[in-house]
Amino acid sequence: MKPFSRLLAPLLLSVCVLLSGCSASSEPVVSLDAIPAYSGDPYVVINGNVPFFEESDFTTTAYEEYSELDYLNRCGVVSACVGLEIMPTEERGSIGHVKPSGWQTAKYDCVDGKYLYNRCHLIGFQLTGENATAENLITGTRYLNVDGMLPFENMVADYVQETENHVLYRVTPVFDGEDLVAQGVLMEAWSVEDEGDGICFNVFCYNVQPGVAIDYATGESWLDGENAPASSESTTMYVVNLSSEKFHEATCGSAEKLSDDNRMEFFGNREDLIAQGYKPCGSCKP
Amino acid sequence: MVVIVCVDKKYGMLFNQRRQSQDRILRARILERTKGAKLWMNGYSAKQFKEGLPSHVAVSEDFLALAGPNDFCFVENADLTPYQDKITGIILYHWNREYPADHHFSLDMTQFMLQAIADFPGSSHETITEEVYAL
Repeated sequence: MKPFSRLLAPLLLSVCVLLSGCSASSEPVVSLDAIPAYSGDPYVVINGNVPFFEESDFTTTAYEEYSELDYLNRCGVVSACVGLEIMPTEERGSIGHVKPSGWQTAKYDCVDGKYLYNRCHLIGFQLTGENATAENLITGTRYLNVDGMLPFENMVADYVQETENHVLYRVTPVFDGEDLVAQGVLMEAWSVEDEGDGICFNVFCYNVQPGVAIDYATGESWLDGENAPASSESTTMYVVNLSSEKFHEATCGSAEKLSDDNRMEFFGNREDLIAQGYKPCGSCKP
Repeated sequence: MVVIVCVDKKYGMLFNQRRQSQDRILRARILERTKGAKLWMNGYSAKQFKEGLPSHVAVSEDFLALAGPNDFCFVENADLTPYQDKITGIILYHWNREYPADHHFSLDMTQFMLQAIADFPGSSHETITEEVYAL
Protein backbone atom coordinates (compact mmCIF):
# COMPACT_ATOMS: atom_id res chain seq x y z
CA MET A 1 0.00 0.00 0.00
CA LYS A 2 1.36 3.40 -0.93
CA PRO A 3 1.42 6.15 1.66
CA PHE A 4 -1.33 8.64 1.59
CA SER A 5 -1.27 11.34 -1.04
CA ARG A 6 -1.51 14.88 0.24
CA LEU A 7 -4.65 15.55 -1.81
CA LEU A 8 -6.94 13.44 0.32
CA ALA A 9 -5.77 14.24 3.81
CA PRO A 10 -7.45 17.61 4.28
CA LEU A 11 -10.71 16.28 2.84
CA LEU A 12 -10.97 13.35 5.18
CA LEU A 13 -9.45 14.57 8.36
CA SER A 14 -8.66 18.23 8.24
CA VAL A 15 -5.08 17.17 8.62
CA CYS A 16 -2.80 18.80 6.14
CA VAL A 17 0.73 18.11 5.09
CA LEU A 18 3.23 20.89 4.62
CA LEU A 19 6.28 20.36 2.56
CA SER A 20 9.43 21.53 4.21
CA GLY A 21 11.69 23.47 1.89
CA CYS A 22 15.02 22.06 2.99
CA SER A 23 14.20 18.98 5.01
CA ALA A 24 14.06 15.52 3.52
CA SER A 25 10.83 14.96 5.37
CA SER A 26 7.38 16.50 5.01
CA GLU A 27 5.76 17.48 8.28
CA PRO A 28 2.16 16.75 9.18
CA VAL A 29 0.26 19.58 10.81
CA VAL A 30 -2.41 18.02 12.94
CA SER A 31 -5.63 19.73 13.87
CA LEU A 32 -6.98 18.57 17.21
CA ASP A 33 -10.47 19.19 15.84
CA ALA A 34 -9.97 16.19 13.59
CA ILE A 35 -9.10 13.83 16.42
CA PRO A 36 -11.93 12.13 18.33
CA ALA A 37 -12.05 12.65 22.09
CA TYR A 38 -10.47 9.91 24.19
CA SER A 39 -13.01 7.14 24.71
CA GLY A 40 -11.16 4.38 26.53
CA ASP A 41 -8.64 3.17 23.95
CA PRO A 42 -5.03 4.38 24.18
CA TYR A 43 -4.94 5.25 20.49
CA VAL A 44 -7.20 5.96 17.55
CA VAL A 45 -6.52 5.12 13.91
CA ILE A 46 -6.02 8.14 11.65
CA ASN A 47 -6.62 8.19 7.90
CA GLY A 48 -7.35 4.46 7.69
CA ASN A 49 -3.89 3.72 9.09
CA VAL A 50 -2.17 5.18 6.06
CA PRO A 51 0.65 7.55 7.01
CA PHE A 52 1.07 11.02 5.50
CA PHE A 53 4.52 10.42 4.03
CA GLU A 54 5.38 11.81 0.62
CA GLU A 55 7.30 10.00 -2.08
CA SER A 56 10.14 12.43 -1.41
CA ASP A 57 10.40 10.91 2.06
CA PHE A 58 11.17 7.43 0.75
CA THR A 59 14.71 6.34 1.49
CA THR A 60 16.57 3.28 2.65
CA THR A 61 19.31 5.38 4.18
CA ALA A 62 18.92 5.38 7.93
CA TYR A 63 18.66 8.78 9.58
CA GLU A 64 17.05 10.53 12.53
CA GLU A 65 15.95 14.15 12.64
CA TYR A 66 14.69 16.22 15.57
CA SER A 67 13.02 19.62 15.57
CA GLU A 68 14.50 22.37 17.68
CA LEU A 69 12.59 23.14 20.86
CA ASP A 70 10.19 26.04 20.38
CA TYR A 71 9.97 29.23 22.46
CA LEU A 72 8.03 27.32 25.13
CA ASN A 73 10.71 24.64 25.26
CA ARG A 74 8.38 22.19 23.53
CA CYS A 75 9.37 19.38 21.20
CA GLY A 76 8.28 19.34 17.57
CA VAL A 77 8.02 16.66 14.92
CA VAL A 78 10.73 14.01 14.92
CA SER A 79 11.38 11.60 12.09
CA ALA A 80 13.66 8.76 11.22
CA CYS A 81 14.35 6.05 8.76
CA VAL A 82 14.85 3.23 11.24
CA GLY A 83 17.35 0.56 10.28
CA LEU A 84 19.63 -1.85 12.03
CA GLU A 85 22.52 0.53 11.47
CA ILE A 86 21.12 3.11 13.93
CA MET A 87 19.48 0.81 16.46
CA PRO A 88 21.09 0.86 19.92
CA THR A 89 23.87 -1.48 20.83
CA GLU A 90 24.21 -0.34 24.44
CA GLU A 91 21.92 -0.20 27.45
CA ARG A 92 19.91 2.97 28.05
CA GLY A 93 21.41 5.60 30.34
CA SER A 94 19.81 8.03 32.76
CA ILE A 95 17.42 10.69 31.46
CA GLY A 96 16.42 12.14 34.82
CA HIS A 97 18.18 15.46 34.24
CA VAL A 98 15.99 16.37 31.25
CA LYS A 99 12.97 18.47 32.15
CA PRO A 100 10.49 18.49 29.24
CA SER A 101 7.93 21.28 28.95
CA GLY A 102 5.17 20.96 31.55
CA TRP A 103 7.21 18.52 33.61
CA GLN A 104 5.83 17.83 37.09
CA THR A 105 6.51 15.05 39.50
CA ALA A 106 3.13 13.65 40.47
CA LYS A 107 2.30 10.34 42.12
CA TYR A 108 -1.02 8.50 42.22
CA ASP A 109 -1.90 5.08 43.56
CA CYS A 110 -4.00 4.41 40.47
CA VAL A 111 -1.00 4.73 38.14
CA ASP A 112 1.21 1.76 37.33
CA GLY A 113 4.48 2.57 39.07
CA LYS A 114 2.76 5.51 40.84
CA TYR A 115 4.39 8.28 38.79
CA LEU A 116 1.91 10.01 36.50
CA TYR A 117 4.49 11.38 34.10
CA ASN A 118 7.32 9.72 32.27
CA ARG A 119 9.99 11.44 30.23
CA CYS A 120 8.51 9.98 27.12
CA HIS A 121 10.75 9.37 24.09
CA LEU A 122 9.09 10.47 20.86
CA ILE A 123 11.27 8.04 18.93
CA GLY A 124 11.70 5.14 21.33
CA PHE A 125 15.20 4.36 22.52
CA GLN A 126 14.95 0.86 21.09
CA LEU A 127 14.59 2.29 17.57
CA THR A 128 17.39 4.84 17.29
CA GLY A 129 19.30 4.65 20.56
CA GLU A 130 18.62 8.33 21.22
CA ASN A 131 18.51 8.64 24.98
CA ALA A 132 18.70 11.94 26.86
CA THR A 133 18.02 14.19 23.89
CA ALA A 134 15.75 17.04 25.04
CA GLU A 135 14.33 17.40 21.51
CA ASN A 136 13.07 13.80 21.76
CA LEU A 137 11.50 13.83 25.23
CA ILE A 138 8.05 15.06 26.18
CA THR A 139 6.04 15.00 29.37
CA GLY A 140 3.89 11.94 28.78
CA THR A 141 1.64 9.94 31.03
CA ARG A 142 2.55 6.40 31.99
CA TYR A 143 -0.48 5.33 29.96
CA LEU A 144 0.73 7.15 26.84
CA ASN A 145 4.19 5.68 27.22
CA VAL A 146 3.31 2.07 27.98
CA ASP A 147 -0.17 1.47 26.56
CA GLY A 148 -0.09 3.98 23.72
CA MET A 149 3.35 4.25 22.18
CA LEU A 150 5.36 1.24 23.31
CA PRO A 151 3.35 -1.44 21.46
CA PHE A 152 3.93 0.39 18.16
CA GLU A 153 7.63 0.81 18.90
CA ASN A 154 7.86 -2.92 19.68
CA MET A 155 6.23 -3.80 16.39
CA VAL A 156 8.61 -1.62 14.38
CA ALA A 157 11.69 -2.80 16.30
CA ASP A 158 10.84 -6.46 15.76
CA TYR A 159 10.19 -5.92 12.07
CA VAL A 160 13.50 -4.16 11.48
CA GLN A 161 15.47 -6.71 13.48
CA GLU A 162 13.89 -9.66 11.70
CA THR A 163 13.82 -8.36 8.13
CA GLU A 164 16.78 -5.94 8.18
CA ASN A 165 14.52 -3.63 6.19
CA HIS A 166 13.95 0.06 6.94
CA VAL A 167 10.92 1.82 8.37
CA LEU A 168 10.04 5.46 7.83
CA TYR A 169 8.95 6.66 11.22
CA ARG A 170 7.59 9.98 12.37
CA VAL A 171 6.13 11.18 15.66
CA THR A 172 4.41 14.53 16.02
CA PRO A 173 3.52 15.83 19.48
CA VAL A 174 0.25 17.73 19.27
CA PHE A 175 -0.19 20.73 21.57
CA ASP A 176 -3.30 22.84 22.01
CA GLY A 177 -2.30 26.50 21.66
CA GLU A 178 0.40 27.35 24.17
CA ASP A 179 -0.11 24.30 26.38
CA LEU A 180 3.09 22.90 27.82
CA VAL A 181 1.86 19.31 27.81
CA ALA A 182 0.90 17.61 24.55
CA GLN A 183 -2.61 16.26 24.07
CA GLY A 184 -1.06 13.26 22.40
CA VAL A 185 1.23 12.18 19.61
CA LEU A 186 0.64 11.27 15.99
CA MET A 187 2.66 8.17 15.14
CA GLU A 188 3.27 7.21 11.52
CA ALA A 189 5.31 4.34 10.14
CA TRP A 190 5.81 2.66 6.77
CA SER A 191 8.23 -0.09 5.79
CA VAL A 192 10.24 0.99 2.77
CA GLU A 193 11.64 -2.07 1.01
CA ASP A 194 8.31 -3.95 0.93
CA GLU A 195 6.21 -0.78 0.35
CA GLY A 196 4.26 -1.00 3.59
CA ASP A 197 3.55 -4.74 3.46
CA GLY A 198 5.22 -5.26 6.81
CA ILE A 199 4.58 -2.01 8.66
CA CYS A 200 1.94 0.58 7.87
CA PHE A 201 0.16 2.62 10.49
CA ASN A 202 -1.02 6.09 11.34
CA VAL A 203 -2.40 6.52 14.85
CA PHE A 204 -2.94 9.20 17.44
CA CYS A 205 -1.98 8.13 20.97
CA TYR A 206 -3.71 10.04 23.75
CA ASN A 207 -1.64 11.66 26.49
CA VAL A 208 -4.17 10.80 29.16
CA GLN A 209 -4.16 8.77 32.32
CA PRO A 210 -7.36 6.99 33.35
CA GLY A 211 -8.43 8.21 36.77
CA VAL A 212 -6.39 11.40 36.62
CA ALA A 213 -7.32 14.83 35.24
CA ILE A 214 -4.59 16.93 33.65
CA ASP A 215 -4.26 20.66 33.07
CA TYR A 216 -2.39 20.54 29.77
CA ALA A 217 -1.49 24.23 30.02
CA THR A 218 0.76 23.62 33.01
CA GLY A 219 1.02 19.87 33.60
CA GLU A 220 -0.77 20.11 36.94
CA SER A 221 -2.96 17.14 37.71
CA TRP A 222 -5.47 15.83 40.18
CA LEU A 223 -7.59 12.76 40.75
CA ASP A 224 -10.74 12.52 38.65
CA GLY A 225 -13.71 13.65 40.66
CA GLU A 226 -11.75 16.19 42.62
CA ASN A 227 -11.94 19.81 41.64
CA ALA A 228 -8.68 21.57 42.18
CA PRO A 229 -5.05 20.85 41.43
CA ALA A 230 -4.34 21.66 45.08
CA SER A 231 -5.96 18.38 46.05
CA SER A 232 -3.45 16.34 44.08
CA GLU A 233 -0.06 15.18 45.25
CA SER A 234 1.56 17.20 42.46
CA THR A 235 5.13 18.11 43.34
CA THR A 236 8.28 19.40 41.71
CA MET A 237 11.76 18.00 41.97
CA TYR A 238 14.45 20.34 43.29
CA VAL A 239 18.12 19.64 43.82
CA VAL A 240 19.49 20.85 47.15
CA ASN A 241 23.12 21.78 47.71
CA LEU A 242 23.65 20.56 51.25
CA SER A 243 26.82 22.58 51.55
CA SER A 244 25.58 26.00 50.43
CA GLU A 245 22.00 25.26 51.53
CA LYS A 246 20.65 26.55 48.22
CA PHE A 247 18.17 24.70 46.09
CA HIS A 248 18.01 24.54 42.30
CA GLU A 249 15.85 23.48 39.42
CA ALA A 250 16.88 19.94 38.39
CA THR A 251 18.12 21.34 35.08
CA CYS A 252 20.22 24.15 36.62
CA GLY A 253 23.89 23.96 35.65
CA SER A 254 24.90 24.31 39.29
CA ALA A 255 22.75 21.33 40.23
CA GLU A 256 24.29 19.16 37.53
CA LYS A 257 27.80 19.89 38.86
CA LEU A 258 27.01 18.87 42.43
CA SER A 259 28.87 15.93 43.89
CA ASP A 260 26.79 13.10 45.31
CA ASP A 261 27.95 14.01 48.82
CA ASN A 262 26.49 17.51 48.60
CA ARG A 263 23.43 16.66 46.52
CA MET A 264 19.93 15.90 47.76
CA GLU A 265 16.87 15.50 45.53
CA PHE A 266 13.71 16.95 47.02
CA PHE A 267 10.17 16.36 45.75
CA GLY A 268 7.69 18.92 46.98
CA ASN A 269 6.92 22.62 47.01
CA ARG A 270 9.52 25.40 47.11
CA GLU A 271 7.77 26.83 50.16
CA ASP A 272 8.56 23.64 52.06
CA LEU A 273 12.24 24.02 51.25
CA ILE A 274 12.29 27.67 52.25
CA ALA A 275 10.55 26.76 55.50
CA GLN A 276 13.39 24.29 56.13
CA GLY A 277 15.94 27.09 55.79
CA TYR A 278 17.08 26.55 52.20
CA LYS A 279 17.45 29.51 49.82
CA PRO A 280 16.57 29.53 46.10
CA CYS A 281 19.43 29.67 43.62
CA GLY A 282 19.89 33.17 42.23
CA SER A 283 20.67 31.83 38.78
CA CYS A 284 17.84 29.39 37.98
CA LYS A 285 15.40 31.12 40.39
CA PRO A 286 13.39 27.99 41.25
CA MET B 1 -6.08 -30.57 12.67
CA VAL B 2 -3.70 -28.72 14.94
CA VAL B 3 -3.53 -24.96 14.54
CA ILE B 4 -0.40 -22.96 15.27
CA VAL B 5 -0.97 -19.34 16.28
CA CYS B 6 1.24 -16.51 17.58
CA VAL B 7 -0.21 -14.04 20.06
CA ASP B 8 0.91 -11.07 22.11
CA LYS B 9 0.26 -10.48 25.80
CA LYS B 10 -3.37 -9.62 25.10
CA TYR B 11 -3.94 -12.43 22.60
CA GLY B 12 -3.61 -9.99 19.72
CA MET B 13 -2.64 -11.41 16.33
CA LEU B 14 -2.80 -8.64 13.73
CA PHE B 15 -2.85 -4.89 13.41
CA ASN B 16 -3.98 -3.25 10.19
CA GLN B 17 -4.03 -6.68 8.51
CA ARG B 18 -0.35 -7.18 9.27
CA ARG B 19 1.28 -9.64 11.65
CA GLN B 20 2.37 -8.13 14.93
CA SER B 21 5.74 -9.79 14.94
CA GLN B 22 7.89 -12.55 13.52
CA ASP B 23 10.98 -14.47 14.58
CA ARG B 24 13.30 -16.59 12.48
CA ILE B 25 14.02 -19.02 15.33
CA LEU B 26 10.33 -19.56 15.80
CA ARG B 27 9.89 -20.24 12.09
CA ALA B 28 12.60 -22.88 12.24
CA ARG B 29 10.98 -24.40 15.31
CA ILE B 30 7.61 -24.65 13.60
CA LEU B 31 9.13 -26.36 10.56
CA GLU B 32 11.07 -28.77 12.77
CA ARG B 33 8.10 -29.54 14.96
CA THR B 34 5.82 -30.37 12.04
CA LYS B 35 8.38 -32.46 10.16
CA GLY B 36 6.85 -35.83 9.34
CA ALA B 37 3.38 -34.35 9.01
CA LYS B 38 1.83 -31.84 6.65
CA LEU B 39 1.99 -28.13 7.49
CA TRP B 40 -0.53 -25.86 5.80
CA MET B 41 -0.44 -22.08 5.51
CA ASN B 42 -1.65 -19.37 3.15
CA GLY B 43 0.41 -17.20 0.84
CA TYR B 44 0.68 -14.40 3.36
CA SER B 45 2.38 -16.70 5.86
CA ALA B 46 4.49 -18.46 3.24
CA LYS B 47 6.03 -15.12 2.29
CA GLN B 48 7.44 -14.90 5.81
CA PHE B 49 9.55 -18.04 5.30
CA LYS B 50 12.34 -16.36 3.39
CA GLU B 51 14.66 -19.24 4.29
CA GLY B 52 12.56 -21.43 1.95
CA LEU B 53 9.83 -23.96 2.55
CA PRO B 54 10.52 -27.68 2.92
CA SER B 55 8.52 -30.29 1.06
CA HIS B 56 6.12 -31.02 3.93
CA VAL B 57 4.63 -27.52 3.64
CA ALA B 58 1.55 -26.91 1.51
CA VAL B 59 0.39 -23.40 0.59
CA SER B 60 -3.21 -22.57 -0.25
CA GLU B 61 -5.62 -19.72 0.40
CA ASP B 62 -8.17 -22.38 1.34
CA PHE B 63 -5.79 -24.19 3.67
CA LEU B 64 -8.08 -24.50 6.68
CA ALA B 65 -10.71 -26.24 4.60
CA LEU B 66 -8.18 -28.51 2.88
CA ALA B 67 -6.26 -29.61 5.98
CA GLY B 68 -6.77 -33.20 7.10
CA PRO B 69 -7.29 -34.46 10.67
CA ASN B 70 -3.58 -35.05 11.33
CA ASP B 71 -2.28 -31.94 9.61
CA PHE B 72 -0.92 -28.73 11.12
CA CYS B 73 -2.08 -25.25 10.07
CA PHE B 74 -0.02 -22.13 10.70
CA VAL B 75 -2.63 -19.39 11.06
CA GLU B 76 -1.82 -15.68 11.03
CA ASN B 77 -4.63 -13.84 9.28
CA ALA B 78 -7.43 -16.36 8.76
CA ASP B 79 -10.65 -16.67 10.72
CA LEU B 80 -10.61 -19.89 12.74
CA THR B 81 -14.17 -19.71 13.97
CA PRO B 82 -15.80 -21.66 11.10
CA TYR B 83 -13.32 -24.50 11.65
CA GLN B 84 -13.70 -24.85 15.41
CA ASP B 85 -15.09 -28.38 15.09
CA LYS B 86 -12.12 -29.54 12.99
CA ILE B 87 -9.53 -28.39 15.49
CA THR B 88 -8.12 -31.13 17.70
CA GLY B 89 -5.11 -29.28 19.01
CA ILE B 90 -3.66 -25.79 19.41
CA ILE B 91 -0.07 -24.68 19.65
CA LEU B 92 0.09 -21.13 20.96
CA TYR B 93 3.27 -19.12 20.75
CA HIS B 94 3.33 -16.15 23.10
CA TRP B 95 5.61 -13.30 22.07
CA ASN B 96 5.53 -12.05 25.68
CA ARG B 97 5.48 -8.49 24.39
CA GLU B 98 2.67 -6.06 23.66
CA TYR B 99 1.81 -4.87 20.20
CA PRO B 100 -1.13 -2.96 18.79
CA ALA B 101 -3.95 -5.30 17.80
CA ASP B 102 -7.24 -5.08 15.97
CA HIS B 103 -7.63 -8.83 15.44
CA HIS B 104 -7.41 -11.24 18.36
CA PHE B 105 -7.27 -14.98 18.91
CA SER B 106 -10.85 -15.80 19.79
CA LEU B 107 -11.14 -19.57 19.58
CA ASP B 108 -13.20 -21.16 22.33
CA MET B 109 -10.59 -23.10 24.31
CA THR B 110 -12.82 -24.45 27.06
CA GLN B 111 -12.62 -27.99 25.64
CA PHE B 112 -8.84 -27.95 25.36
CA MET B 113 -6.36 -29.00 28.03
CA LEU B 114 -2.86 -27.61 28.37
CA GLN B 115 -0.49 -30.53 27.70
CA ALA B 116 2.92 -28.87 27.66
CA ILE B 117 4.56 -25.52 28.11
CA ALA B 118 8.09 -24.45 27.23
CA ASP B 119 10.09 -21.23 27.01
CA PHE B 120 12.82 -20.61 24.46
CA PRO B 121 14.77 -17.56 23.26
CA GLY B 122 13.89 -16.19 19.86
CA SER B 123 16.11 -14.23 17.52
CA SER B 124 14.53 -10.87 18.38
CA HIS B 125 12.41 -11.96 21.34
CA GLU B 126 13.94 -12.55 24.73
CA THR B 127 11.57 -15.38 25.57
CA ILE B 128 8.88 -17.02 23.48
CA THR B 129 6.49 -19.33 25.31
CA GLU B 130 5.10 -22.39 23.58
CA GLU B 131 1.84 -23.83 24.90
CA VAL B 132 0.44 -27.08 23.53
CA TYR B 133 -3.26 -27.78 23.98
CA ALA B 134 -5.23 -30.90 23.08
CA LEU B 135 -8.85 -31.97 23.34
